[in-house]
Formats: sequence, structure tokens, C-alpha cells
Amino acid sequence: MSATRVEEARPPAVTTLVHRVGRTEALLFALALIATITLIITTHGNLLHSDTIRAVLQYLAVPIVIGLAQMVVLAVGQMSLSVGVLTGLSAVVSAGLMVDHGVTPWLAVPGALLIGALAGLINGLLVVATRINGFIVTLATMTIISGLRYGVHGTGTYDGYAPGLVKFGRASILGLPTVFLVAVAVAIAVAWFFRRSVAGRQLLASGGNPLAARLSGISNDRSVVLAHALSGLLAGVAGVLVLMLSGSVNASIGDDLLLPSFAAPIIGGVALVGGAVSVLGTCLAAYVVRLVDVAQAQYNINPRWVDLVVGGVVLGAVMLSQSKDGTDET
Amino acid sequence: MTDVMAKSEPEALEESLPAVQRGLPWWANQRFGLVVVITGLVVLFSTLRPSFLNVDLTLVPMQADLSVFVVVGLAQLSVLSLGHMNLAVGRMAALSAFAAGLTYDRLDAPLFVGLLVALVAGALVGAVAGLIITATGISSFVVTLALDFGLLGLVSLLYAGFTDGVAFSVHPAGMDTLRFDNMSDYCSGSVCGPPIPLVVPFALVAMLAVGILFRLSRVGREILMTGSSLRTARLSGIPVNRRILQAHALSGLLCGLAGWLLAMNNGAFSATLGEQFLLPSFLAPVLGGTLLAGGAVSVLGTVLGSTLTTVIQKGLNLLQFQFDQLQILIGGVLLIALSLDRVRHVIAERRGVRT
Repeated sequence: MSATRVEEARPPAVTTLVHRVGRTEALLFALALIATITLIITTHGNLLHSDTIRAVLQYLAVPIVIGLAQMVVLAVGQMSLSVGVLTGLSAVVSAGLMVDHGVTPWLAVPGALLIGALAGLINGLLVVATRINGFIVTLATMTIISGLRYGVHGTGTYDGYAPGLVKFGRASILGLPTVFLVAVAVAIAVAWFFRRSVAGRQLLASGGNPLAARLSGISNDRSVVLAHALSGLLAGVAGVLVLMLSGSVNASIGDDLLLPSFAAPIIGGVALVGGAVSVLGTCLAAYVVRLVDVAQAQYNINPRWVDLVVGGVVLGAVMLSQSKDGTDET
Repeated sequence: MTDVMAKSEPEALEESLPAVQRGLPWWANQRFGLVVVITGLVVLFSTLRPSFLNVDLTLVPMQADLSVFVVVGLAQLSVLSLGHMNLAVGRMAALSAFAAGLTYDRLDAPLFVGLLVALVAGALVGAVAGLIITATGISSFVVTLALDFGLLGLVSLLYAGFTDGVAFSVHPAGMDTLRFDNMSDYCSGSVCGPPIPLVVPFALVAMLAVGILFRLSRVGREILMTGSSLRTARLSGIPVNRRILQAHALSGLLCGLAGWLLAMNNGAFSATLGEQFLLPSFLAPVLGGTLLAGGAVSVLGTVLGSTLTTVIQKGLNLLQFQFDQLQILIGGVLLIALSLDRVRHVIAERRGVRT
């Protein structure tokens, strides 16, 4: 799960733990640990209460998955502005299928994933076919998808769908919320994809150096389409997690996910230029951002401070990791 | 320091060659295409709904909206010239509007003092963004994204601290005149002005100033050179860091102007002002042919680009499309417009090769 960078050949002598997991991850891990311990001490152990732990982890699931959805497109040097609204669309459509059409969750959940993957696929095909910058294409599809999302049920709310699904989503296994476990499983799958699978390595190769990738017989177009489709699929997963967790969904879901989707991978040390991903870094960053929320709730701070602090954390973390990268990359 | 995402695609590289642009036939010009599309849409909308040409109901409000969006587009254009982005356009506008509102509320300042305060506040925030980018070398995307987060919190904290609710209710002298009057309300004898809202001249001044800056001034040309190749610019003795800072400060300044204009149009200074700026800020320059890769800008294209989006929005509104259908159509039109542009470009290039 370390920072995988294709063209980089690490000297075999370096085997210390810090170097093995990458310095950004080590830094983030230390930051997360210190912040957690500080929170535990200052709240007099309140954070260790099982209910608090469950709440912290439950609402960590969606940020992790949405961060990974963005990370996958960043890997090929693209970005997707549509992941947030796509999460909302797949959640709303899936809920609509269950409430209005009586579809079983066994079909509606794969339906949500399918919608996500399809929309992502369309993003990728548009980028490849029109050769327009991915930023602009996903800006346009973001507008379209947010329209579709309101088109499903207007501003109304769906609730009372699939009680079994919601019950499962709010349940815990060995003290860990199921949604969190799902997110961890997804993270492990994504990490495996980028470390071990041929397609994953090809994505990183295309992102790292398109020309070299082409000369080695990799289709960059295929990489871009695959990355967008995968990102859409992950947004669909995030949509399902929202369904499982909240018990009621409406068309505003996903509006507040765009910025966090960038925050997690960027703090986690994923470069915007592509070619490098860090699943562990993205997950740790999502946790750090989540801690800001937790601190706000624990200390009863004005919630408006959260955005301000998160902005500072994003900038601070990137500054720290970039100043260190500057020496060996230029 | 450079936003490599646009440049990492090989096709962006060939697009950014100005020689290709110059060798194209006149009909491949993006601005010409936009004029044709806008004219076509105006004819279409006014045949379907004659009220589209109604002066008081449609044309005057449309111009007021347009003035704001042109300035927002120019704010984005200022940093696109470097190949940078400013994701905090809306929040910079909100902060500037807050500064202006506070000046009016606490100091009873005259209208133009508030405008000045808004401009200075915007320019300062923009300069801070530029400073962080040049000092740390972090990409502008990340810096302005983080800044957007930060300002989102800051602006609502400021409003909560300085007002009872979420807005300043103060109305400085002249604000309502600026909001409701248009030039046809001012007559000398029997000759009245054209039905143009009073906010339009502000946008015109901004257009001219930005146009002159990038076309004629040394600073503007050097910003463009920095955008087309940072390395070459640095080796040519251009103070690149200062130019990057200046471009971002200009972007902030224009955000300040846009925020102030929108506050005038709305008649209120509220924390949510500018929330909807991000999409139009990119739409206008990109539709108008400004590249994300940097090094080339088109002020006229930006004006036409924002005119197109405003016309589409007003027209579909009049045809009583719902909000969601409107979103879908605007996104679709954007995609089609950009794809057609690409097709036209490719065809023109092939012809250019043959002849």
C-alpha cells in the first residue's frame, strides 16, 4: 500500500520502515496519531467511548471511497469534477428504484454501481474522443449529472427504502461499523489493483510518462477510459454507502463531496501530474480531515471553523510533503 | 509551479503552438463560430418566445447578469494566461463583497469607496494565493482549492461576527440607482440613453483594461510568456515569480469587482454570494478559445463565451425549462460546442496542410 511510482527504482539497501511506506504516509501517520492522542487526552477519554469510535469510523467510509475515486483519475494525470454529484445520482436513482418501483436491494445496489461505472465510462470516452481537457469534460458532465440528479425526484426525499440494507449499514462487526469495513475492503482492492494487476500498472505507466507508455505498447486512451470508469464505479460505491448509512436520500447528496475528494489524495501525497498513487496516504488523509470534524463536535466549536481549518490542513500538509519532494524530483 | 495537467497531454502541446492558429482559415476562428451560434440562438429563442426581445423583462436583466459573468470570466482568464487555475473565484468575490459591505455598514462610506475596498481586498487575497504558489511551488489548483475551503469558513465566520444574520442590510446612497436604473432613465431633452443597465460600464472598463494589459503592456506580455514556457521566460530575464504574483492579484481584483457588481445587482451583501461563479468562470474563457495550458488568452472570446451561456440560460428560462433540465442542457451545449470546435480545428488543419 505504499506510494507506488512506476519509473522509480528504489535502492534495495533502503529497508527502514519509514522508507518502505513512503515519507508522506509516515508523516501523515504521525500526524494522525498525535492528533488522535491529543483529542483523547483533552476530551478525557471521551473519544475512546465505543459510540464515539463508531461514529468517527462510520462517517469516515464515504470520504475514503470518494478520495479513492478521485485518486484513480489522478493516477493517469486526469481529474474528475463529477465524482461528487455522481455519488448523489447513484444514491438517488437506487433509492428511487427501491421506493417507486419496488426493486429489491439485491438489484438496486448493483444498479447504483452500474450507473456510476457507466457515467465514468462516458466521461472517459468523451475525453478520449474529443481530446478536450478532462477538467472541462467533467465540468460539463458534472453540470449534466447534477441536473439528472434533481430530475429523478426533484427536491423530494426518499426514505423508508430497504430497511434490511440500512440496518446492515448501521450495524457493527467486532465493534467496527460495516460501512467502514466496506470502505477498507475497497481500499485494499484498489491498492491490489495498482500494485499487482497489469491494468493498474498500465494506468500508472500512462500517467507517469505517456510517451514512454505508448512506446512500450500501452494504449494511453484505454488507460484514460479505464481510470474514469473505475472512478465512476467507486463513486457508485460511495453512493451505496450513503444509502446504507443515512436511511434517507435527496438530490443534494454529493454537493459537499467535491472538495473532500481532492483533499484526501492531495494531502495523501498523490501528485496531480499522474503516475503515482498512495492508497494508504489517501485513507490516512481522509482520517485526518475527519478528525477536524470530530474535534469540532467534541469541543462544540462553531462548525464554520471546520472549513477554515481543513483549508489550512490541506495547504500545510502539501507544503510539508512538497518541500521534501523538491529535493529529489527536480 | 506549472499546472502540468493540461500540458501532460501531447495534444495540448500542439494546440498551444500559436503558429497553427495563425495558419488557419478565417472560418476556423473560435470567436466567429461563437457569434454564429449566439445569433442563431437569439433568433431561435425570439421566434419561440417573442418576450425574449422584451427590453425590461429580458434584455436589461440579461445585461446586468452578463456584466457580472464577464468579469468573473476575466478573473479566471487572468490566471489561465499562466496555465494556472483559480478555484476560489467565488469565495474571493464573497470576501471582497463582505469588505465592501462592512465599509458601508460601519463607516457610512460613499459608494465608490466601498468599490475601492472590494478591489483592494480581492487583489490582496489574490496576491496571497500568488505568493503561496511562487514561494512553495505547489500547483495553483491545490493552493486555490485549499484557499477556497479556508475562505468558505472565514467568510461565514466574518458574517456571523459582524452582522446579526447572514447579510448586511445596508443600502449606501446610489446603490439602488445602480441596481434599478438603466441609461434610458436619463434624458437630456427628448433624447434618452439606450436601455443599458448602469453596471455595464464597469464590466466594459474591466474588459478594456484586461485587453490592453495582455495585448499592449509589457507586464501582460511577460505574463503570457511565463504561461507559455516558464523556463524560457526565466532564462529571458523575466521576473517570473513577480509576474505570477501579479496575475493572481489581478484575478483577485477582478473577483472583487465581480463580487461588488453582484452585490449591487442583488441589493444585498450575503455570505452565499459568488457560490455559483466557478462553472461560468471556466465556461466563458474556454468557450472563447483560451487554453487551459496557458500562454494565450482571448478577452473578446471570453465576452462571447459568457454571452452564449447567459443567452442559453435566459432563453431556456423563458421556455420554462425546469432547473434540472436547464443544467442538463447547459452541460450538453458546452460539450457539443467544444467538440464542434475541435472538429472545425481538425478540418481546418487538414486543409491547411493540403493547400
